[in-house]
Amino acid sequence: MDLVLQLLFTGIGIGAVYALVALGFVLIFRATNVVNFAQGEFSMVAAYLMVVCVELGLPYWLSFVIALAGMALIGVIFNLGVYYPLRHRTYLPVIIATIGASILLANSVLAIYGPQPQVLQGWFDTPGIQLGPVYLDSQYLLIIGVTILLVLFNFWFFEKTLLGKKLQATSQDKEMASLLGISVSTMIMITFIYSAVLGGLAGILVAPVLFVSIQMGSTIALKAFAATIIGGFGDVAGAIVGGLALGVIETFGAAYISVPYKDGFAFLVLIAFLVFRPQGIFGERVAEKA
Amino acid sequence: MPLLEIRNLVVRYGEIEALRGVTIAVEQGQVVTLLGANGAGKSTTLRAISGLAKPASGDILFDGHSIAGLGPEAIVRLGISHVPEGRRVFPGLTVKENIMLGASNRKVSASQISREADAMFDLFPDIRAFSNALGWTLSGGQLQMVAVARGLMAKPRLLLLDEPSLGLAPVIVQAVFRIISQIRKDTTVLLVEQNARMGLSVADHGFVLETGRIVLGGKPDELWGNEAIAAAYLGGHAKTHA
Repeated sequence: MDLVLQLLFTGIGIGAVYALVALGFVLIFRATNVVNFAQGEFSMVAAYLMVVCVELGLPYWLSFVIALAGMALIGVIFNLGVYYPLRHRTYLPVIIATIGASILLANSVLAIYGPQPQVLQGWFDTPGIQLGPVYLDSQYLLIIGVTILLVLFNFWFFEKTLLGKKLQATSQDKEMASLLGISVSTMIMITFIYSAVLGGLAGILVAPVLFVSIQMGSTIALKAFAATIIGGFGDVAGAIVGGLALGVIETFGAAYISVPYKDGFAFLVLIAFLVFRPQGIFGERVAEKA
Repeated sequence: MPLLEIRNLVVRYGEIEALRGVTIAVEQGQVVTLLGANGAGKSTTLRAISGLAKPASGDILFDGHSIAGLGPEAIVRLGISHVPEGRRVFPGLTVKENIMLGASNRKVSASQISREADAMFDLFPDIRAFSNALGWTLSGGQLQMVAVARGLMAKPRLLLLDEPSLGLAPVIVQAVFRIISQIRKDTTVLLVEQNARMGLSVADHGFVLETGRIVLGGKPDELWGNEAIAAAYLGGHAKTHA
């Protein structure tokens, strides 16, 4: 039982990272009808920005702020450089452009920083606390705490503010939104900035748990993408539930079945969903929300 | 000076010329109805006015200033509100939220917009009870009410209404047209209709579009009096013209 609780804690922690990246996927998909294949690279670039700032001797909190500001800037550049010129085309050129951008980002970091994985220390000096039978790692606690706050923020922002409603309207019918005087290009810009910051936050939070490497982006993105399908593609709640579920499943799979096949469990679940429930956990609501 | 003046407007979709030199004027305070068969170019005319379709040539003057080539976001800020074909109510937002977003062209606080949206239900009492229902759950008539209410939230000087009666039961059509005759007290309306009788019943002036051209214009009585037109568009009993 103790082990189960311990694994549940770790699984939710890692799942929260997938959930944040998956949320970025879903928000961009809903606004532009395109899957952003560079979403994982946002996490990787943010982690490297964090490493650079910390190595420069900046305080951890300031590095955190700078890295997130850098991600906001990358969101702007990404929107203007990758999406905006192709916005009147079909989804295919845009998807290919996002794949191109992800290769560019990964290789730029490789050229600047080299192939050696880096280590980023965690936010707290205390490694963790013992709560009854469960050892709560401080970095996982941070990840879970930040994710809870972000999910609450996300709900408030999209459901309670007029700007959130304008973003939803834009994702549902761009032409109608523009007829009402909603600036569609501004709404899409905000979506890219928000998604880049979400992806970046996930990268910074998970970096102390993993190594900071060029490949970390694609690994996280694949899991997050699987999470969005499991949750129900295009659904915000689905992305969060799917991410958490995936984290828990792979953690238990690694503990009870096989460590080397840890990454395999996520994709096994993905395949099972594609075969038996392709619309995902919250599938029906996607059709309704269109 | 007319509130809206369209001069020799040509709009192309690729190779197809949807409008081939349309000229109409809408005076302040009028309801003007644009009649015509499917594909005559009625919706294209409205789309060109609101900025969704780019004119190939010709000009569109609003209040004496050219608006041809401006984007829809700029045009609605000038005071032209377009309620497009198919209602286009946001399916994942509630009725109240849909109506509130109609004020996106104006700089007013969210609380002010919320009050104005509540007041809009006085004009549309039938949808008041559905204030918190999502758009996709509504019936065609309710959607039309929401679409018109949302269009009015822009506080437009000119309201463009595209086929408000399409697909609605007769009793609902009558309710919609009652609202149009109420709106006209404050707002100039350019109405596109296939239902010529209803369309002309509220109009001060009518135009008939045929394959991208205006073939006739005049007061509703004059249009009714024209036998060929009455036969072709208004469902009269005169002999059809060759």
